[in-house]
Amino acid sequence: MGAAVGTDEKGSVNVELNIIPFIDLMSCLTAFLLVTAVWVNIAQINIQPKGKTRDTSNVQQDDEHVTLSVLVQSDKIWVGLSRVNEFQDIPKLASGEHDWDKFETTIKQHKTSAFFADRTDLEIAAESTAAAPVKYQDIIRAMDLAIKVGFLDVGLSDPAGLAARPTL
Amino acid sequence: MPVHSAGPRLYHSVPFKHLVRKAGSAAGGRASNISLNLVPFIDMMTMLVCFLLMVFSSTGQLLQAQKGLELPFADSRETLQQAPVIIVTRNEITYQGQLIATTEAVLRDDSPTFKIDALFERLDSAAKKIKEDVGMGRNYDKKLLEACEKAKQNIRPEPGRVCPDGLAILQADESTDARLINKIVVTAKAAGFDNLLFAVKNK
Repeated sequence: MGAAVGTDEKGSVNVELNIIPFIDLMSCLTAFLLVTAVWVNIAQINIQPKGKTRDTSNVQQDDEHVTLSVLVQSDKIWVGLSRVNEFQDIPKLASGEHDWDKFETTIKQHKTSAFFADRTDLEIAAESTAAAPVKYQDIIRAMDLAIKVGFLDVGLSDPAGLAARPTL
Repeated sequence: MPVHSAGPRLYHSVPFKHLVRKAGSAAGGRASNISLNLVPFIDMMTMLVCFLLMVFSSTGQLLQAQKGLELPFADSRETLQQAPVIIVTRNEITYQGQLIATTEAVLRDDSPTFKIDALFERLDSAAKKIKEDVGMGRNYDKKLLEACEKAKQNIRPEPGRVCPDGLAILQADESTDARLINKIVVTAKAAGFDNLLFAVKNK
């Protein structure tokens, strides 16, 4: 950046700074950053695929542990405990949305129970058909709430591979 | 205006001089130079640059914006990390930018294996290469390799530092049918990708 000393009057001590290159640089930088800025915050949900398929002969039942299973269907969410055989249906609201508040309350209750107080695993599946499809957003919402409640190890499975499952 | 030959400077002959009051004239005596106060302008630019540098994120570079792809919303705030990306738009499935299949064809397929064969082949070779790289300790950050050691001891990784061995990102449209997601997850698991990161948008 250029500087000139005492250019105006004889004996002047004023310093003139040439700030044009600075303004040029700032303008270019601003334009570049505005163009390349990412305005959408992208995050992640980490899951462990169970890898179970409709071939139920491969499904291994764990007799030792009670497993909390969640099945998202087009008209309701089904929450069940294996071994204990405790099941709950959470039907959709009149607005057509899943009742996520009730789902959160339900899995929160399970998290505080003796079975899951010190455990963080939960399995989720979605039963989708051409006639009654389940959207990816609903799976994400269910997993997001599960993580929020404290089930950090979410496993995604095929409906037939759930440890506890309704009759499909 | 009479026409005459051009002078050494553009508009030299255009008589703008009547617009400028001459210094010391009876008309006014003010200087014709206008001093612009650039300080607020520079202040604003500096603050804008600082703000933009703060919001600048490299996360967006990990994912590709595609037509027909709207990520689902979630509250999770874990940062995304580098990994092979499977993209599912409303019409097609791509892996690392290469078309694998159309969503319609995959949904029509009722094979009992519940796998997407074309995707399995790509993922399988990618998984083997990643495993080899991690085993040799090359191409990856030291901290990520440490995360692999911790994973063997069942220690939970820090957010954004998951072991790259068996790690892939699924970037799917929010309206994707769950059947498609199931098939992709099963295929990824079969190929050796035990950890899937679902890319989401924060509200």
